[in-house]
Amino acid sequence: MKLQTKLTLFNTVSKLVIVLLFVALLPSLIKTINQNYTDTRLRKQKDKVLQVVHNKGIKFFIEDNEAYASYTPLKEEYVSIEFAPPNELLDTIRNERRAVEGDTIRYRILSHTFKIDKVNYLLEVAKSVNTIGETSTPLQNIAFEVLLSMVILTILADLFYSNYVLRPLSLIIKTKLRGQKFPNFAAYKKVQTSTTDFEYLDMSIHEMIETIERTFQKEREFISNASHELMTPISILQSKIENLFEQEDVSDELKISLLEMQRILNRLKTITKTLLLISQIENEQFLKEDTIGADELLQDVYDEISIRLQQKDITCEIQLPANVRLKSVNKFLLFNLFFNLVNNAIKYNKEGGTITISGQPVKGGFMLRVADTGIGISPEQLPHIFNRFKKFRQSMAQDSFGLGLPIVKSIADFHHVHINITSEENVGSTFELTFPDDLVGV
Amino acid sequence: MNVLIVEDEKALASELEIFLTGNNYLCETCFNGTTASEKIAVNKYDFILIDLGLPDYDGLDLLKEAKQSNAEAACLILTARAEVYDRIKGLDMGADDYLPKPFSLLELQSRMQAIMRRKFGIKNNTVKLGSFSIDLTDRTISHNGVMISAITKKEFDLIAYLILHKNRTLTRPQLSEHIWGSVVNDDYDSNYIDAHIKNIRKKLNVYESPDWLETVRGLGYRITL
Repeated sequence: MKLQTKLTLFNTVSKLVIVLLFVALLPSLIKTINQNYTDTRLRKQKDKVLQVVHNKGIKFFIEDNEAYASYTPLKEEYVSIEFAPPNELLDTIRNERRAVEGDTIRYRILSHTFKIDKVNYLLEVAKSVNTIGETSTPLQNIAFEVLLSMVILTILADLFYSNYVLRPLSLIIKTKLRGQKFPNFAAYKKVQTSTTDFEYLDMSIHEMIETIERTFQKEREFISNASHELMTPISILQSKIENLFEQEDVSDELKISLLEMQRILNRLKTITKTLLLISQIENEQFLKEDTIGADELLQDVYDEISIRLQQKDITCEIQLPANVRLKSVNKFLLFNLFFNLVNNAIKYNKEGGTITISGQPVKGGFMLRVADTGIGISPEQLPHIFNRFKKFRQSMAQDSFGLGLPIVKSIADFHHVHINITSEENVGSTFELTFPDDLVGV
Repeated sequence: MNVLIVEDEKALASELEIFLTGNNYLCETCFNGTTASEKIAVNKYDFILIDLGLPDYDGLDLLKEAKQSNAEAACLILTARAEVYDRIKGLDMGADDYLPKPFSLLELQSRMQAIMRRKFGIKNNTVKLGSFSIDLTDRTISHNGVMISAITKKEFDLIAYLILHKNRTLTRPQLSEHIWGSVVNDDYDSNYIDAHIKNIRKKLNVYESPDWLETVRGLGYRITL
């Protein structure tokens, strides 16, 4: 789950929980507030009544020893004054039921006793409990609606802000870590952000990339330098051997030994040349300015390799559309690529087998397929076949040192050509090379 | 033919000298650019072999000097660093050929011969082998005036290379290096040369047995003239 989604989700849930908790607590809160408010009002009303009694005398309320009671028309409130036993002293506020004209109603009642002319009176000021609680539900609903819309608003604001604040992170991932050709990274471009953490992350990734790049560069330089350094001594040895061959007093036995040395030297030379070629490709020291017909290229390879086909009695079929041209490529390298691919297809083929080279347009480019009826590659070897120096099929005792496929891979990578291999043991292997659209012209 | 060898690696310079002297070239050798520069200014050479990686001198500068004061000389660049840009630069500056190290001495010799042919405009470079006549310029083989078209490009390359080094046994690695020169491939020692020779013999036998193409047991092949 994305960081932004996580943050938004957490925000939403936590806010909703708080709102729901608040809304749930609202009735009891409102009840307390209302009760306090009612109690204060009742006390004020009591004081007013007592003031009236004080001003106008008790007779204003009680005449002919009759108790006084006054109701609002809907019996929501009442005030009553009646006689009380002489020793009763009350000053309380309580919820109690009262029967008023046949209805039993729960009231919040303030009871207060007072004495006038040694007569004890009981004053009751009351308000119906129903009227106290009736604001609670609408208030709760309004509060819920208001809070919910506030929650939605803040979530939207959060979403917008987190999107804004996290954008540099996705930018760092997109531009620095993904879609980069490893280990050749583009030049460092600072990601615009005011968040110091992202600045720090960006810098750290950049430093890491630089270290990796330096290491790769060193490796490539080393291979290149080492191969170059080897060229001169090989050259000297080769010249020495060739000059020895020319000497008349050298016996045939010695010449055969010299030939053996020449063979070993040739092997050393090929390894060095291959390593140098790979390091030159990886250092992008080749130009990609050639245009060549796919059929023409494969025909060249066929001509070069036909002797090997003959020797193993292998049929090679080339079925390519005539009008497909490969552009912005290096002809020499592509020749090397297909030469090694077809050479492998011959080497690991069966006597009298076939090799089929075909091509077809596919989504995003053009696919060239080299399929053989050979011994195939086992599934456990398949992931390693492009590894430099990882020599397989040693039991085959082939004259090879496993550098053919690394060459293929380096050249394909250099041209951004995608390779896909399918293979089944004892049935054959198929190499599919997809040339991207920008390399294909008609 | 006067050859100036400019090579700081003494062992290699000495082998070059031995080989070229053995093939009737007159050789002078110098191990650094300064001496070479002096020699170029004073003497006239037919060939100047320049190693680009000289410790005291930029090989390309030496080439420039050679082109000025020894305009007739054919310049061959020998170098361990044979990157595309160096190669283009060297050839653009007037080098006649480029040989990346390590190279075969025979390869060097045939390149030198090719340059000579170009320089002196040799058009009709025909060699007679029994009743066969081989035209090295047009790259054709004919038997008693009848063109043989069955010979492939590679097969002709082999015959031409053997003719260039006539009467000399060429080993399989030497032939193979010449034939597969540009292709970097995985097989260091295979018998493709034998297969080619077999094919050549088969194709020529239709007309006449090519006795001049000899197999030297255990070593390689030779064309005797």
